Amino acid sequence: MKKKMLSLLLAAAMCVGALAGCGQSQTQEDTGEQTADAPQPAAETDAGETDGVDADLAAELNIWSSGEELQRFVEGFNQIYPNIKVNITVIPNTEFLSKLTPVISSGQDVPDIFTGESDYVRYLVNAGVWDDLSQAPYSASEALEDVWDYVKDVGTDDTGAIRALSWQTTPGSVIYRRDLAEEVLGVSEPEDVAAYLSDYDKMLETAAVMKEAGITMFGSWEDVMLMALSYRDQPWVVDGKLVIDPKMEDFLDIVKTIQENGYDLNVSEWDPEWIAGVEGDSVFCYILPTWGYSFVIKANAVNTMGKWGLCEGPNPYINGGTWLGIYKDSPNKEAAWAFLEYVTLNSEALQEYASEYGEYVDCKSANDKLAQGEGEETLAGQNIYEFYNQVMSEKPHVTITEYDGQINSAFKTAAKAYATGKLSKEEAIEQFKNDVATNYPELIIE
Amino acid sequence: MKKKSINDRSKYGYLFISPFFIAFIFLGLYPVLFTFSLSLQKWDGLAPETFVGLANFKRLLTDRIFYLSIWNTLRIWIISYIPQILAALLLSAIFTMYSVKGMKMFRAVYYLPNLVTAASVGLLFNLLFNGNKSVVNNILQALQIPGAPFDFFNDPVFTSGLTSYIQWWMWFGYTTILVMAGITTIDRNLFEAAQIDGASKGQTYRKITLPLIKPTIVYITITSIIGGMQLFDVPSTMSDGTGEPDKAILTVSMYLYNQGFKNHNYGYSAAISVGLFAVIGLMSILSLKAMKRKGEDRNG
Repeated sequence: MKKKMLSLLLAAAMCVGALAGCGQSQTQEDTGEQTADAPQPAAETDAGETDGVDADLAAELNIWSSGEELQRFVEGFNQIYPNIKVNITVIPNTEFLSKLTPVISSGQDVPDIFTGESDYVRYLVNAGVWDDLSQAPYSASEALEDVWDYVKDVGTDDTGAIRALSWQTTPGSVIYRRDLAEEVLGVSEPEDVAAYLSDYDKMLETAAVMKEAGITMFGSWEDVMLMALSYRDQPWVVDGKLVIDPKMEDFLDIVKTIQENGYDLNVSEWDPEWIAGVEGDSVFCYILPTWGYSFVIKANAVNTMGKWGLCEGPNPYINGGTWLGIYKDSPNKEAAWAFLEYVTLNSEALQEYASEYGEYVDCKSANDKLAQGEGEETLAGQNIYEFYNQVMSEKPHVTITEYDGQINSAFKTAAKAYATGKLSKEEAIEQFKNDVATNYPELIIE
Repeated sequence: MKKKSINDRSKYGYLFISPFFIAFIFLGLYPVLFTFSLSLQKWDGLAPETFVGLANFKRLLTDRIFYLSIWNTLRIWIISYIPQILAALLLSAIFTMYSVKGMKMFRAVYYLPNLVTAASVGLLFNLLFNGNKSVVNNILQALQIPGAPFDFFNDPVFTSGLTSYIQWWMWFGYTTILVMAGITTIDRNLFEAAQIDGASKGQTYRKITLPLIKPTIVYITITSIIGGMQLFDVPSTMSDGTGEPDKAILTVSMYLYNQGFKNHNYGYSAAISVGLFAVIGLMSILSLKAMKRKGEDRNG
């Protein structure tokens, strides 16, 4: 009995520990973005458009989200649908699937809408737990033409059914410090700085110049990997087979050069030191997609306000994102669709949202309108929509698979082992293959 | 008539103990049985399960990482447990034999780390050691130690040792309290008699205290094995769930968590936990036997 009590206690301690863990990662993700000032709803503009919608629709929607963003839409949504009560539960990304899978498999208390991040969204899309949005009662078709293909492609399963959409599109950039560029390179405008980063060799040469001036080129080499993943032509898995693109093998050498020469802070992404670098004077650039600009740079830049700029690196890239879909057995499909449509397809609402939070959205028309508007204060007046439109027009390679979370993590481990000299390149690749085989025994690995 | 009323009353006994058994059936027994049945299936968490027989166990027996994770867990446990029990014996000897001023305060302070959630502790040590500008590296650089800053978390020996140290630091106070509780149950007369016969404090401790608190030590060892083999939170928060560097702090619990919730191999994950169950069972029996035999030798 005593033993049982102790193991119970131990188990409880473990649970408490896990909970404490989520609190942490959560606060880390939305640094400074806790909004006391709720989003200004698109009240006036939307009020005129309520003719086509059933404003009397009444329901209580339960939504599980891995981020805070959806909450920002609720006030505007309730201007149109005052009788739909929206309850959003935020579950940190690291815990999300372990909370979600049990409720889905039991069918009890499944949320009407739930999100899926890029690491595992393909797993949810192909599992068929979200309804097909092109079928009744949703029948989305016309509005979808305004949505970037990236969002639709990732949300579409192998049979062609579209199961999830997103409010964001996540092309990437090199977010650099204008003042440091001027100081060391003598230029500060995006096109001029991009010339110093036009390919990976050139980028490393620039890093050496920075190093001589006492400046660290990158926050972390893991940032560079976000870009390198779009540099390759094929995703990690094609037809059930692991593919190691030669460009990823080249990337191993890039990591080694960065680590050996101290071109980064020698920390991982999201480490406190990595975030603190935004406000320091020693990190030249962060290579991050739209969400990185919004959550890492914009959210933390106070002293460095107006000192940043966006330019392109060696290749255009796109990385990450959060999708949302409607549970296939939800009893509130109509109300759920009203919300999902508002969040992902309502161009005016998205425009309001984007201008408030500095995010690039899924609706092309909203981005185009914002590209005409004012620029960002953080970026010395540069317009992010104009910039990201340009990146999207260059068609960055999309390489999302349902295995990405674990495979990327195994690749990072192998890259680090090679970079620090623990393993040779061949050994590192061998270890990477073994790790993938351990994680996914069903994959064919040559 | 009288007999019947006693019978009636004995029923209330069952009523009073029933809450535990009801809770146990749903929260203890059912999950255990479910795990066993899951270990014979292939399940990604969403699609329907398919029965695969012993395939998961076949894979388990040849899985290098599974053996590695058992070895890691065992090593981390042993390296933290031996200093733990030694510290507990030493401290409890000091506390019970000498009247230490502020003994209660010390005891509370030693116990304190146990109250901090393990996840926070993992994170705390991460802040202390991770990165070139971590607290420890800053201090070492200020002291101009050659070689600083060190890449601490790239060294498997250091990381594994640090995990053991944290486990020791979190649990030695708890163990001390248990040992002290064991000592207080010993009949005072024995100590007095020994004192009158001229036994020194050391002799009293070795010949009277130690043999008589053996049941306590057996209990501590076995609960520590059970807890230690399920080690999860500290290494997980320190390494972001990966068990790196070189999988040196990948414990069995972390491995089964990753297989289940990250790779969506719930069936295999269940098989790992059955494997872990067998390992813990075996170790508990072995340690119980070893201690019993030791006791018999001494008696004989």
